[in-house]
Amino acid sequence: MAYRIMLVENDRLLLEQIANVISSTDGFELVARYQTVSDALGQGSVFHPNIIMLDVDHPRAFAAIGTFHANYPETVIICMGEEWQADRATHCVRSGASGYIVRPSTTQELKESVETYAKSGMEFASETMAFFSAKGKSGKSTLIANLALALGRRSGEQVGIIDADLQFGDMTVFFSLEPSMTIYEAVRDIKYLSPVTLKPYFTPVNDNVHVLCGTRTPNLIDRISIEGFESLLEMAQSLFRYVLIDIPPGFNPTSIAAVEKAKSTYVVTMLNGAYEIQHAQRALEVMNSLDNHEERVHTIFTRVQSTDIAARHQLETELGYPVAAMIPNEYLTVSKAANDGRMAVDIEPDSPLTRSVNKLAETIMGKKHIRWAKP
Amino acid sequence: MGDQDNARNGVVITFFSTASAVGKTLIACNMASEIARNATVCLVDLDLQFGDVANYLQLQDEYTIADVERDMNVQGDSCEVAPFLTLYEHGQVAFYCLTSPKDVAEAYNIKTKTVQQIIRQLQSMFDYIIIDTTSMFSELNLAMLDMSTIVNFLGIVDFIPTIKNMKIGTDTLKRLGYDTQKIRLVLNRSDSKTNIGMDDVERVLGQPFYHILPNDFRAASQSIQDGVPLVLSNGSTRLAASLRELVDLYTDGRMGSRHQEHQDAAASHSLLGRLFGR
Repeated sequence: MAYRIMLVENDRLLLEQIANVISSTDGFELVARYQTVSDALGQGSVFHPNIIMLDVDHPRAFAAIGTFHANYPETVIICMGEEWQADRATHCVRSGASGYIVRPSTTQELKESVETYAKSGMEFASETMAFFSAKGKSGKSTLIANLALALGRRSGEQVGIIDADLQFGDMTVFFSLEPSMTIYEAVRDIKYLSPVTLKPYFTPVNDNVHVLCGTRTPNLIDRISIEGFESLLEMAQSLFRYVLIDIPPGFNPTSIAAVEKAKSTYVVTMLNGAYEIQHAQRALEVMNSLDNHEERVHTIFTRVQSTDIAARHQLETELGYPVAAMIPNEYLTVSKAANDGRMAVDIEPDSPLTRSVNKLAETIMGKKHIRWAKP
Repeated sequence: MGDQDNARNGVVITFFSTASAVGKTLIACNMASEIARNATVCLVDLDLQFGDVANYLQLQDEYTIADVERDMNVQGDSCEVAPFLTLYEHGQVAFYCLTSPKDVAEAYNIKTKTVQQIIRQLQSMFDYIIIDTTSMFSELNLAMLDMSTIVNFLGIVDFIPTIKNMKIGTDTLKRLGYDTQKIRLVLNRSDSKTNIGMDDVERVLGQPFYHILPNDFRAASQSIQDGVPLVLSNGSTRLAASLRELVDLYTDGRMGSRHQEHQDAAASHSLLGRLFGR
């Protein structure tokens, strides 16, 4: 499909520049251009644009997004501005636009921006999930990798993994990726990025799942600012329907920032016959101070021997908190898969492990409340 | 005491890893127990947020390292660590522990400088200080690696992500410029079924394992349930024997003379009692 663009830009010089970019981009046709909102609203329909690029730095245009949407219900509206602003992007999308971009200055930027939002629209109801563990070896990275694939497959939506286990992130190994960019570069550049320009920092696993890989060496942890990391999490929410964040074990500036920014947090624990439940309780106590913690904080147990109702009941009683999911013990499948750079949900699609991961994916998609029947 | 010429600083043995759940705490508890047969020992739990030393030894610890931190903030350099230690006793063996905070917020606020000061003080009181850590390169862990006489870098062979993290760990330690003599690569054989060969791991890490602990998952987990370190409860297992070999490697000939000295002090922990003025 050829893009038929109507350009609405208040600044005379920028109007000229962007018009040039559009005209010189393959597959794009500039059908109309206006400096004022009134002209665009009154005359543009004659040219049947399928995309409206609207400069919302101008207050009048910013206020008129809804009117454009009402007058051009079939047309994709992409708002443009000088710089990326998350709250502004949210306002644009809520008013009926498909996305908000930084004004494109090259044909490539234009293509990427328009293609990103013309297809699926910008996310503003993204589910961000942080996966917390008290200590290492909780099975959380394995869970995240498998869950991301299940979510992508079952929902058909865009899923992003952010590997913020900054020193020992495992996603590159799990998916056998050779990333050209990592979280280090993304956080370093974040001030100059918008969602569209952030996306190439993610390495694709398939059409739906994209990974922002962890740092290459552990010392880079010092160069990842928490402020930059928080902006990254915010921006990723406009790219993906589901964002899964892998964080370092325990409470540290990175894990705390992720838990605070995420809509929900999963405390992941592997039962190894020592004091794992006590550690999970201690972590949950700390998270009690979060607003709405009962809705936001969930627990998952991995490598569980028995996943039946009685076992769940016993675990919930001991823990004193509802258990959202129990992932059965399939050590051999999981480790063999990880060694080969593949995923358990792929190589054993009918196994109990895959079923439990799929069930968790369904719950997340349905946003069903996980209720706890007090024993 | 206090005579500078005779002052001697104890040996600091740290258990560190960049892979998780490799048995740091279990091995640290056992090593403390074994060394304590012949020397004075303090075991320090620096997994501040989720430490397991008090759990594994089933200690009723009244005070933790958080209390030392508080006291140091008030008293400064004149703060004494001794009153905050918890004694562990089993039969004739006894050693002291400085346990981790009960509260995550307390743990979060413990300063590296405080811990360094604590370890220095403990070095003037004990022959051996055994330190349990977390599996990451944090400011605190790096400070402890600096202060250590010996670092046991513990490894496990299960699946590729673990090997990758161990590789990152050993490479980083090399870059940090520690003497190769100081860092000892110790393999803890887990029960994990794996087709990754040990030689392959040694090749990837670019060095052989200094010591290998045999796989005895059942004995190890039983000791956690009982709260009694393996070398004390059932010294005849292969794991206990191997742990003892490791202790011998670190204590070398010195142990013999200390042993005599220790025997002279009559009861096994009267020496400790004297130290603390009890």
